[in-house]
Amino acid sequence: MARWGMVIDLDKCTGCQSCSVACKAENNVPYGSPDEHKKRTAPFWHKVIAVSRGQYPTLGIDLIPMPCMHCDDAPCVTVCPARATYRREDGIVIQNFRRCIGCKYCIVACPYGVRSFNYKEPEEKEYHRPDLPPERADRGIWPFPTRVHGVVEKCTFCFHRIDQATREGKKVGVEVVPACAEACPARAISFGDLDDPDSAVAHLLATRQWLRLRENMGTSPKVFYLPR
Amino acid sequence: MASNFIPLEGKSKGYRIAMIILAFLALSGFVSFIISYLEGHQMFGSNNAIPWGLPIVMAIYLIGLSAGLHILAFLIYIMHQERYREVIRAAVFMAIVLIFGAMIFIALDLGRPEKFWRLFMLFFMNNMASMFAINAIFYSCYFVSAVIYLISLLNNMKRFSMIMGMIAFGWAMLTHGGTGAIFGFISTREPWFSPLSPFEFIFAALTSSLALLILVLVLIYKVTGRELAQELIASLGGLVKGLLLGMLLLMAIGELTHIYSPARDAAIYMLTGHLSWLFWALLIGTGVIIPLVILFHPSMKRSVRGVVIASALIVVGIFVKRYYLVIPGAAYPLHYYPGKIEGVWGEVGSFSFAPIEIILSIGIVGFLALIYIMGLKYLELLPAKDKIEKVDKKPPAPTASEGIKEPRAKADAITPDKAQRKPDERNQK
Repeated sequence: MARWGMVIDLDKCTGCQSCSVACKAENNVPYGSPDEHKKRTAPFWHKVIAVSRGQYPTLGIDLIPMPCMHCDDAPCVTVCPARATYRREDGIVIQNFRRCIGCKYCIVACPYGVRSFNYKEPEEKEYHRPDLPPERADRGIWPFPTRVHGVVEKCTFCFHRIDQATREGKKVGVEVVPACAEACPARAISFGDLDDPDSAVAHLLATRQWLRLRENMGTSPKVFYLPR
Repeated sequence: MASNFIPLEGKSKGYRIAMIILAFLALSGFVSFIISYLEGHQMFGSNNAIPWGLPIVMAIYLIGLSAGLHILAFLIYIMHQERYREVIRAAVFMAIVLIFGAMIFIALDLGRPEKFWRLFMLFFMNNMASMFAINAIFYSCYFVSAVIYLISLLNNMKRFSMIMGMIAFGWAMLTHGGTGAIFGFISTREPWFSPLSPFEFIFAALTSSLALLILVLVLIYKVTGRELAQELIASLGGLVKGLLLGMLLLMAIGELTHIYSPARDAAIYMLTGHLSWLFWALLIGTGVIIPLVILFHPSMKRSVRGVVIASALIVVGIFVKRYYLVIPGAAYPLHYYPGKIEGVWGEVGSFSFAPIEIILSIGIVGFLALIYIMGLKYLELLPAKDKIEKVDKKPPAPTASEGIKEPRAKADAITPDKAQRKPDERNQK
């Protein structure tokens, strides 16, 4: 079984936010007004944060694209009372919107703040969830179950692309990658099988220094960063 | 058993007016819940930075009061103090009402309240590693055991109620310890992450519920013209003092542990941030120091008035403690990467009380008070006032209860002329 992971080269990242936009477009993530963004009620599956160190003349800025880290030992999976969040065999942490009761415990428990709650009825109702059964009221847009307010959602590593590619026999990581990796103009994001020693991600991790966010939490995330 | 119990008559004008007001409050709470259900949680003050808002504060506060009342009721029961025993039934019934209210708060705070039943599909559809699912066992068993305990008390089954009281006592401890573990087991949030959390919750629960019990006791006794033993209130005040000191000790150890470790940013924010005035003024100042001063003062600790003021301050202070844990405790931004995170992702979360959630909370509290006064009417909860009638009947003055905002207490305040009757015949069997 593959173990999907992502390697983000911080040296190449220019902070253009293409990945965030591509993620919103691909997964039809609901938008929010600037006001809602400021109040932190707009959902984001992917974000790019800017981290500054030092004062003006000697100032360094790191740009960190942050999808879900798909931790091997994910706190959100541990705390979810309804089994709405679970870890697939290939390591992807999935949120099942049908089971989610909206208690927000996973938002509290996530060390990376990658989970968002649907605070209002979204206009963007469709999303790629071939794993969930369709809803009767939505025969028109089958196979996409509708999105409702009051549930938690998060990055899925574009698992619909991966699953389809596996079914069609395409090479994941070369021909098919998640939307953020595909959209990156600097090719800073690579995606692939961490267990396969011949994959591009395994090469990068073997040849370069890497770091993971908040290692002290012991979550062993599967998103790796190559420092500048 | 020496003391007899009677129900309220519930035919006075005051009782009806209280019923109508409380029903109106409950209805407005229900309407605001429907609005929040249709419109989503944008109607609440919570956001992705501070995911839990006022309903969760209310829920853990009510669970604390409930569990504490229950523990106290049992301790009073085994102390073989007849004078304390008078209040057991009322206290246990209040504990049941409060845990029920806490469940309502949790259910209505869910994003999808119609899936509330999923929390109770234990071992079948639940992830039993989750503290929420474990607490679902605690809460439901607690509710059931408390109801059985009340039934056994109502039927004067002495031996059985002793056993049930013991079981319910243990479950009450577990219940509130589990509630503390919901917060204490989350390693992501530094201000919450603490093995002391369950014990701190239990101590806070005992303190606040005993303070509430004193308030309600004084109010009911004053208003219904029963004689109030001053040394009873004074000794309960002494118990509150001990519990408050215990809570203070646990709080101090917890905060010092958080400050001692190098990752102390969030703890420092909790103590000096823009909401820290709540902590210092309302929790430490009026919630702990002033009550302690009163309860250590040689003359004030003997006076009913002093103990009542201290209790009211403690009840408010513990509510602030809960608020302070849930809302500013989650506000400090997570450190994804060393350095200063720019923009909205690195800001301290903001929270503003939304009108809807305030109306919802008041409405649910009104609903609980409605259940409580209906229980007073239909169940034999209040001790019969047949012993001493020497106290001259002065008109009841609800204003005598300083700073008490408990609606159920108010409801009792309006029914002064009750309990004049002889003890119920059924009770004598």
